[in-house]
Amino acid sequence: MQTHVQTSLLPFCRHLQLTSWATAIRVSVWMYPFIQLIHFSGLSLWLGTNVAGDLRLLGVGKRVQTPADVRDELFVWNWIGFAIAIFGGFLLFSARATMYIVNPAFRAKLFMLIPTALLWHIFVQAKTRAWGESAEAPVAGKLAGLIELLLWIGVVTAAVEIPNY
Amino acid sequence: MTAWLYASIAVAHYFTLLVLVGTSVFVDLRVLGLAATRKPIAQVGEQIYPWMWGAFCLAIVSGFLMFTTDAGDYLPDTVFRVKMATILLAVIFTIVVQRGVAQWAQLPSIPASAKVLASISLLLWIGSILAGVEIAAISGLG
Repeated sequence: MQTHVQTSLLPFCRHLQLTSWATAIRVSVWMYPFIQLIHFSGLSLWLGTNVAGDLRLLGVGKRVQTPADVRDELFVWNWIGFAIAIFGGFLLFSARATMYIVNPAFRAKLFMLIPTALLWHIFVQAKTRAWGESAEAPVAGKLAGLIELLLWIGVVTAAVEIPNY
Repeated sequence: MTAWLYASIAVAHYFTLLVLVGTSVFVDLRVLGLAATRKPIAQVGEQIYPWMWGAFCLAIVSGFLMFTTDAGDYLPDTVFRVKMATILLAVIFTIVVQRGVAQWAQLPSIPASAKVLASISLLLWIGSILAGVEIAAISGLG
């Protein structure tokens, strides 16, 4: 199945990589780090707000606000961060799409870990309204927060491993 | 240092630095009136800052361990020095904002000077990420 995915996506990746903007990112000295900056800035907002929500569910740190309050106040910038991270990530990918698409760590990140972590995050975020009404989340909420934390650590691990393949 | 140990430390560094910058920027956005405006500013700060400083400590420890693997090359590197200076300034401005949050909460509205300080803190953290990616791009380290 993986080979099938690979072969069906390769023409798209080749096309993407040859677009004028992808070429510009690849050949320019300053554009690549600048787009990395966009990706990492969005990522920091996304991951920072995700982890804050998870830690509050787990009860790690101060308990000034309920988990539901933390979830509500973080919600908007959580998804703004996600949009910025995806935008920057897509541009970084397009610059070397044919190289990334055959990279095992990149594929684990994009096709397995990110979809799982993302769906789990949406589930946890939706459930936190109910789990987070009082200062102490129920065991199910704590477990869900812990799982989300581990899933994002998995995503970062795959990302760190990309250059090693 | 074995490859898997280095990778584990790198994961810890990236993960915690992203949490550090994200949470710090979030409080700055709150001071600027761009985030969570319905929640009291002192409450937001009190809830978020302990996580931010926890992430900061882990990012410093993991970053120092990464630095020791190639200290001879990192130390004289100009971009690395710029990154360290930017982080130092970002920490100073974050402390100023954190101290200010308790006082600004007493006022009817957040003063313009507070917004200037929060903007500087925000830009310094983004600047430290820029310096971080430029160490690889310009100096070829890491």
